[in-house]
Amino acid sequence: MNIDVLFISNKIGKAIFFTQRDVIVKSFCSLSRTCSVSDRCQSCAMTEEAKSYLINRTSNSNIETLDRELSVGIGELKIGKRALLEAYGLGSCIGVVLFDRSTGISGIAHILLPGASQNGETKYAETAIEKMLEDMIKQGARKSKIVSKFAGGANVFKQINLEILKIGSRNAISVEETLKQKKIPILAKDVGGEVGRSVMFNPLDGSMIVKYTKGGLLWL
Amino acid sequence: MIDLGNLSEMELDVLNELGNMGVGHAATSLSQLFDKEVDIAVPNIKVVEIKNINGELISDVVAGVIISLDSLEDDKSGYLYTMLPEKSSRKIAASLLGMEEVDEEMYASTIMEIGNILASSFCDALAEFMDITLLPSPPSFAVDIPTSIIDSVVSQMAKSSEHIIIFGTSLQTDSDIEVYLTLLPEQGLLEHIVRIVGQL
Repeated sequence: MNIDVLFISNKIGKAIFFTQRDVIVKSFCSLSRTCSVSDRCQSCAMTEEAKSYLINRTSNSNIETLDRELSVGIGELKIGKRALLEAYGLGSCIGVVLFDRSTGISGIAHILLPGASQNGETKYAETAIEKMLEDMIKQGARKSKIVSKFAGGANVFKQINLEILKIGSRNAISVEETLKQKKIPILAKDVGGEVGRSVMFNPLDGSMIVKYTKGGLLWL
Repeated sequence: MIDLGNLSEMELDVLNELGNMGVGHAATSLSQLFDKEVDIAVPNIKVVEIKNINGELISDVVAGVIISLDSLEDDKSGYLYTMLPEKSSRKIAASLLGMEEVDEEMYASTIMEIGNILASSFCDALAEFMDITLLPSPPSFAVDIPTSIIDSVVSQMAKSSEHIIIFGTSLQTDSDIEVYLTLLPEQGLLEHIVRIVGQL
C-alpha cells in the first residue's frame, strides 16, 4: 500500500498525483475549476507527463517527488521536510501551516481552540503556533524566513441553537492574532464560510490546497 | 475529575448498557414514524483519543443534528449527535413529506425534527434509568462530513480531557435508511454514571 506522491509543475498548471504501483489513484490539480474532466483526470498534458514519468522514470525537471505524507490528528502538530502535510475534516478547526522556504522545513497544526493552554497543549491556537515555531527552529528553520498560510474556521451549521458551536470565527481570530504578534507574514488564508475543509500543503512550491467537503478545490 | 482513559471494564459496560437503552427507545420512535421494522446494530462504546476521532466516524457527507443534554443541577451533561448519510436523509424527507422534490428549507426542518425525535427518546431513556431530569436543547443542524460537524463540540470537551467517549450504533430499515447515533457524555454525566456503578 505504498503511495508515492508526485508534484508536477509545467506551463499549463500544477498538479499533485498520488500513485500506487505506478498507477495514478488520486489527483489534485490547479486547473480543476476550468478543467472539463472533473474529479478524476483522464488525460491532459499533465497527466500524460506523469504517466510517462511513471513508466520510464526518466528525470524530468517538471516533476518532483514528495518523500511522504504527514497527516495531523485533531489538536496535533507535525513537522517535516519534503512531506505533503495534511489536515482532514476541518469544521470550526483551523489548519495552520508555517514554512521556511530557504530550508523547506514546514509544519502543520490542527487547531481546535482559541487562546493559549496552561500546560502546553497544542490544541490551543497560541500554544500550537509557538510550539511549531520553536520545533521548526530547532530543526534548522530560520525564523526570518518563516511564513504562514491557514484555512478553516467554518460555521457549518444551517440552524444553530447552541452558542458553543460558533467557535470557528474565534479560532480564526486567535490564529491570525498570534501570527501577527509573532511577526510571521500571512501569505494566504481561507477562513469562515459554511462548508468544512481539508487542507494539504506542498512544501516544494509552498502551495496550500484547500478541498471543500462538498466539492471544489482552492489553491492558495 | 475522571480520567476517561482509565475507565474500568464495568464502568464501560454500564455506559454501554445505558446507550443500549437509549438506542432501543430511539429505534422504537423511528419504527413508529415509518411504520416499519427497524434493526439495531450491536452498539459499541469506545474511548477515543481526540486526535484520532477522524478515523472513528463515517467519512461520507451526512446530515447531522446535534442536541445538548442539560441536567437541572449540573452543567452540560453531554451531546447527542445523530448522523444521517445524505442518501438516507433525502429518502426520509421524501417519504415523510410524501413528495420526491423537497425544497431545502423543508428538508432541513424535517431532518432536524427526526434528529429531535430520536434524541428526545434517547434522552428520556437515559434520564429514566439514572433518575435525573435531562433537558434536550433545540437541535442544531448541518450538512457536511461528520468530523467537520462535530469538531466544535469536541473542542468543548477537549478543554478538560484528551479523550472522549463515543457511544455509537446504527439503525436500519428495510428501505435502506441508515441512522447513526452517538452519545458524547461530559464529565458530569460520567461521574454520575460511575456513582451509580459504585452503588450496584
